[in-house]
Amino acid sequence: MRSLLPHILSALACVILPITAEADEIDFEKQVRPLFIARCGECHGPKDQQSGLRLDARHAALKGGDSGVAIVPGNSGKSELLRRVTSSDKDERMPPEGDALSKPEVDLLTRWIDRGAAWPETEYDRLAKIDPRLEHWAFQPLRKAAHGRQEANGNKTIDEFIERKLRENDLTFSAEADRRTLIRRLWFDMLGLPPAIEEVKQFESANDSKAWEHLVEEALKSLRYGERWAQHWLDVIRYADTHGFEVNTPRENAWPYRDYVIRSFNEDKPYDHFIVEQLAGDALQADDATGFLVAAAVLLPGQIGKDEESKRLARQDALDEMIQGTSATLLGLTIGCARCHDHKFDPITQRDYYGMQAFFAGVYYGDRPIKSADGEAHLAEVAALAIRIGELERQLHLRSPIDPQRNDEYIDPITAKFVRFTILETIDDNKHQPCLDELEIYARGNPSQNIGLASTGAKTTSSGNYSETGKHQLRHVNDGRYGNERSWISNTLGGGWVQIELHEPSKIDHLVWGRDRNGKFNDRLPVRYKIEVSLDGQQWRLVAGHTNRIPIGTPPEKIRELLQDQPPIAGTDAPSLLAKLERLKGEKQQLTSPRLVYGGTFREPEATYVLRRGDPEQRVGEIGPKVPALFNVPLLDATLAEQERRLALARWIASPDNPLTARVMVNRIWMYHFGQGLVTTPSDFGLNGVRPSHPKLLDWLAGEFIRSGWSIKHIHRLVLTSRTYRQSHRVDPVSATIDRDNQLLWRFASRRMEGEAIRDSMLAVSGELNLKMGGPGFDFFKSRGGLSGFPPVDQFGPEQMRRMIYSHKIRMERVPVFGAFDCPDAGQATPFRSQSTTAIQALNLFNSKFVAERAEKFADRIATIAAEDMNLQVTTAFELAIGRAPIEVERRASLQVVKQHGLGTLCRVLFNSSEFLFIP
Amino acid sequence: MNEQASSNLTHAGRHLLSRRNFFGQTGSALSAAALTQLLSQQQLLASEDALKIRINPSNPHAPRQPHAVAKGKNVLVVFCAGACSQLETWDYKPELIKQDGKPLPGGPSVTFQGPAGNLARPQYRFRPRGECGKMVSDMVPHLGELVDDFAFVHTLTSKSNTHGPAENFLSTGFVQDGFPSIGAWLTYALGTENQELPAFVAIPDPRGVPQASVNNWGPGFLPAVFQGTPFSSSQPIQNLLPPASVPQNADVAARDLLRLINGEHLKQNPADSDLAARIASYELAAKMQLSVPEISDLSTEPDHVLKMYGADDTKDELKAGFARNCILGRRLIEKGVRFVQLFNGAYASGGRLNWDGHQKLREQYDGHGRIMDQPTAALIRDMKQRGLLEDTLVVWCTEFGRMPMFQKGAQGRDHNPNGFTAVLTGAGVKRGVSYGTTDELGFKAVENVSSVHDLNATILHLLGLDHQRLTFRHNGIDRRLTDVHGQVIREILA
Repeated sequence: MRSLLPHILSALACVILPITAEADEIDFEKQVRPLFIARCGECHGPKDQQSGLRLDARHAALKGGDSGVAIVPGNSGKSELLRRVTSSDKDERMPPEGDALSKPEVDLLTRWIDRGAAWPETEYDRLAKIDPRLEHWAFQPLRKAAHGRQEANGNKTIDEFIERKLRENDLTFSAEADRRTLIRRLWFDMLGLPPAIEEVKQFESANDSKAWEHLVEEALKSLRYGERWAQHWLDVIRYADTHGFEVNTPRENAWPYRDYVIRSFNEDKPYDHFIVEQLAGDALQADDATGFLVAAAVLLPGQIGKDEESKRLARQDALDEMIQGTSATLLGLTIGCARCHDHKFDPITQRDYYGMQAFFAGVYYGDRPIKSADGEAHLAEVAALAIRIGELERQLHLRSPIDPQRNDEYIDPITAKFVRFTILETIDDNKHQPCLDELEIYARGNPSQNIGLASTGAKTTSSGNYSETGKHQLRHVNDGRYGNERSWISNTLGGGWVQIELHEPSKIDHLVWGRDRNGKFNDRLPVRYKIEVSLDGQQWRLVAGHTNRIPIGTPPEKIRELLQDQPPIAGTDAPSLLAKLERLKGEKQQLTSPRLVYGGTFREPEATYVLRRGDPEQRVGEIGPKVPALFNVPLLDATLAEQERRLALARWIASPDNPLTARVMVNRIWMYHFGQGLVTTPSDFGLNGVRPSHPKLLDWLAGEFIRSGWSIKHIHRLVLTSRTYRQSHRVDPVSATIDRDNQLLWRFASRRMEGEAIRDSMLAVSGELNLKMGGPGFDFFKSRGGLSGFPPVDQFGPEQMRRMIYSHKIRMERVPVFGAFDCPDAGQATPFRSQSTTAIQALNLFNSKFVAERAEKFADRIATIAAEDMNLQVTTAFELAIGRAPIEVERRASLQVVKQHGLGTLCRVLFNSSEFLFIP
Repeated sequence: MNEQASSNLTHAGRHLLSRRNFFGQTGSALSAAALTQLLSQQQLLASEDALKIRINPSNPHAPRQPHAVAKGKNVLVVFCAGACSQLETWDYKPELIKQDGKPLPGGPSVTFQGPAGNLARPQYRFRPRGECGKMVSDMVPHLGELVDDFAFVHTLTSKSNTHGPAENFLSTGFVQDGFPSIGAWLTYALGTENQELPAFVAIPDPRGVPQASVNNWGPGFLPAVFQGTPFSSSQPIQNLLPPASVPQNADVAARDLLRLINGEHLKQNPADSDLAARIASYELAAKMQLSVPEISDLSTEPDHVLKMYGADDTKDELKAGFARNCILGRRLIEKGVRFVQLFNGAYASGGRLNWDGHQKLREQYDGHGRIMDQPTAALIRDMKQRGLLEDTLVVWCTEFGRMPMFQKGAQGRDHNPNGFTAVLTGAGVKRGVSYGTTDELGFKAVENVSSVHDLNATILHLLGLDHQRLTFRHNGIDRRLTDVHGQVIREILA
């Protein structure tokens, strides 16, 4: 075909054009349109519409382009088209390359326009108007629920859809799986862990007709569910805890996003909220959600060339990842394909691509502070901690020595308007004037607000000041800034006082002061001091001072001894009181220090340009934020502020009217349940994707999803309670001849578990699984990126016993032992994991130290359950590992092995057995 | 529109035609032509069918036929990590000697790492070599002796001037992380002849792994079974053997019991091919436990072979280590391993451990050249003597080249992706030819400019594979090793 086109074009040029100069009558179809196609078509034809102008089709040509009308019928003089083809300015003249239009050609166009630009509509024009690709199923609105009625038991509906197709193909449902299979399937699928043997037995013997439904609810409530399903999401968005590329250095603050995803699944966060938060969480108290925007690998500044071209290219690459991540994950569209040229299959142009880019034009990769999502609850928690700390502190007879950096004074709550700090002696035998860099005052119940700050209306006075300008001024003592540069010094050697008058009387219980918070200076330090408060500025009351403090200069071990040896305080011994204090202070510290997430950082958007062939050096025209034209959404305001842009995009994606969003997500959910989606190309719902096997079911589910308030758990419930899901996995040979790949779901396809589930299950069975949730990841490798390579950890502590989703995920580097089980490398998105079976997997499971150790621990666990009875040991081993007792031949062989080589060998075998590794 | 054109329509295109009954309505040849253009520009005409590859899960590496006659069966790549300078090896630039110390007229003021200095002459003397008289530098005298067997491509270009992305580009055709490596593509397409060894072996340099590390032998989105297995003469495959704590007889008993339990399970589910595949994978693993230590054991190599490679060099452990890797590479190819990737040079280290000569190029290249030259030359010579080059393609390559200028204030060259050299020899390669030229200073390719995509297309071609038809659908796109580019460099084919 490729060879045909030039022929047609040259035929057009040679045969038809000469006629035009002579003829008086104009035949549009024979003369004008061919001219548009031949001379303008490349840039203003069906494939490309530069500056928004298309000239080969009626509706588009008469409408004009970005800069207005091009053809004014009856007036060639006012027609931009003619002005441009005749312009002598090289930058303006069209076509920009090759010869200008010939005189006969220009004459033809002039006459045609002057005579009214007659353009009889033909099939060509009608076709051009209705791009057939827009009729693609996935771009159509959701079909109204085919069944009309909505049943409380929606599961029946799934089965009806499935059964109808089965019947059409002479297939039937398989029988229901046995109960042991069902509970194991449910647990692995939903939680990624095996059920306890007691749970299996209980379900096997349950008489309750709703036993399965109850079990489903139990699974949905488990916190293990979020840990399991978050991994699916992280696969799709290529999450990792390193930056990727050559240095692959740690992205230390990536994990708060991972925890956000786990939390969101567990909370059943409505999926539309989930989307908006991930694109614009900074507007919704969900900063940690913005990790989504920057999940991909990125070149760090040091890895980008110093020349401007390299920098521009790197920026384009970084933006490209955002477009790809957003469009493939949320819309199932490969918009990223249109970076250099219009999409090969889908009706997505390069303009669409750069219109999408403009939404992200102000988004950069970097750490951002997480504003607390639960603002008031958080503050209350900190306040409660502060009160308890104060109570304990005030019980101490002896306090640690004065610290040049920071001293906390916890006082009995007292209402005061004035606070005065008087220095009686300085560290250097009064050779210098004393210095304070800040004096902070806190009211009871509000430990986050320093009410001594000048900005709150507090006023300062003093005994006298060292200076009224420069570093050491009176106003520095309550300006909220620390360090010697912003401190107060009195004008008296070894003494002086400073006083803060609060804006209003307050019940204060905590003061903080220091010489230099930055820790550089410790001269001029007050060593004898008193703090007094007053309500009226007349009557003063001493609330704190140096008298109960251990002298400065006491050696650390002596300090510890002195503190620990204090007499019992209010019935508690000093050591436990101090330990408690330390713990509380740690908790408070953790709550108050700002947490960071590697998420979006946002600036004023840079201008976005359409780039010829995606080359940052070839800007074609500026463009504002715009969703792809195929969705027929009005243009957004090009002047939208940065955050507004992302919010607008997010709201459009998360709208019930978006034809793709709900379909794409329910299909993903379906795929993770059944191992295969209704659409088997889960991140491509475009023309090149595979059509749904059950289009009506897909639409019904998508509708249910929206109607339920975008509840993911609702979809789980529908699926899990269906007969379709509860079928046996047995392969029926007759059915297999009709539908070998089980696309119509005549059975539940059993499948090998993912590396994560294998590993976590192994730990659960060996009794070592550490269920600690959240926080920084544990290490699979001895070093975290950089250049020393990734030698695997070979000593496994409690951290290594956590679920695998809590590991520090190194991009591109496969996790020892389990990575070989098709774990994604977080380089490109993994919307679907391949299921390979390799000798390396076998070597890893059979020979690795990790598995050998787990087998020994498993053996220990069995020994505590069945101490002496070897027969019982074998039974227990099978039951714990694969949820059933051994059959006779297995029992005999196992007993033999246990006798000769110990229980650990049997455990190692069970960890390698197919039954252990497969979701039944 | 004729019948041929109509049969080239995609489903969507045909649907469109029949639905609109287009010809019946207009009957105008011109409009039909216009429609053809409309369709073609909207890409509704089908491209050639992709190569269909069926993988048997029980034997994913079973040998598969290419779709054209192959010149070669196996590939061995010598990958010089860190960007080995074309100007100090293969690309002779007499003009650069003359211009030594002068600024490059119109050249960039800033290059990858910072301000550019003046032009600097090649740091080694070049001499004519072999019968063809190809000028090759004194840094690689042993390789220089083999030039009559070599085909040089002097005009490679890369899409990135940063090591990691450029190594990705060389090995996967994409600068991003996460695309399948060429070895993965080849074993995906062709399987392998020897079922007891990995189909694709990556042999890291004794100094460490290359910059883009595992990306160079990763499977990307292909099934994990096509990932390269890294091991070398000094570093065994991880978990190849059970922990020392497991006695031999316990290991055998465990294997037997596993076979029994899995066999019983399969009996319950006789038609489940995944279960059969898993059992087969354990059998293959058991074979590898024997075959891999055997092939890595170089004690059976005679002294003269060790000497030829320089593996006996007790004064230069790095050279001896690399030489042992070269011998391992030959042994793997001998046993029918499909793709061997032999790394020379490790990660970024200021040019200390790889070819990244920014600051002290000559000093560092003296060492790197010594390590690389003799063993690599011996490897090629040895393979030739054994007849292995008949059906093995050998490729020497690096991720990009270096600038003709020194960096300002330094004695080394900055990154230059605009014209660098690869060397090919063996199966199907024309001997003693040079393709393409860079400008007279070696700044960029000017004549017969080629790219890494072209190199990869050529490698696939020699193995009987059409780079445009070897595809894998991922995320809605039929991905290729060569992205949407690549042209076979026919001028270097025998």
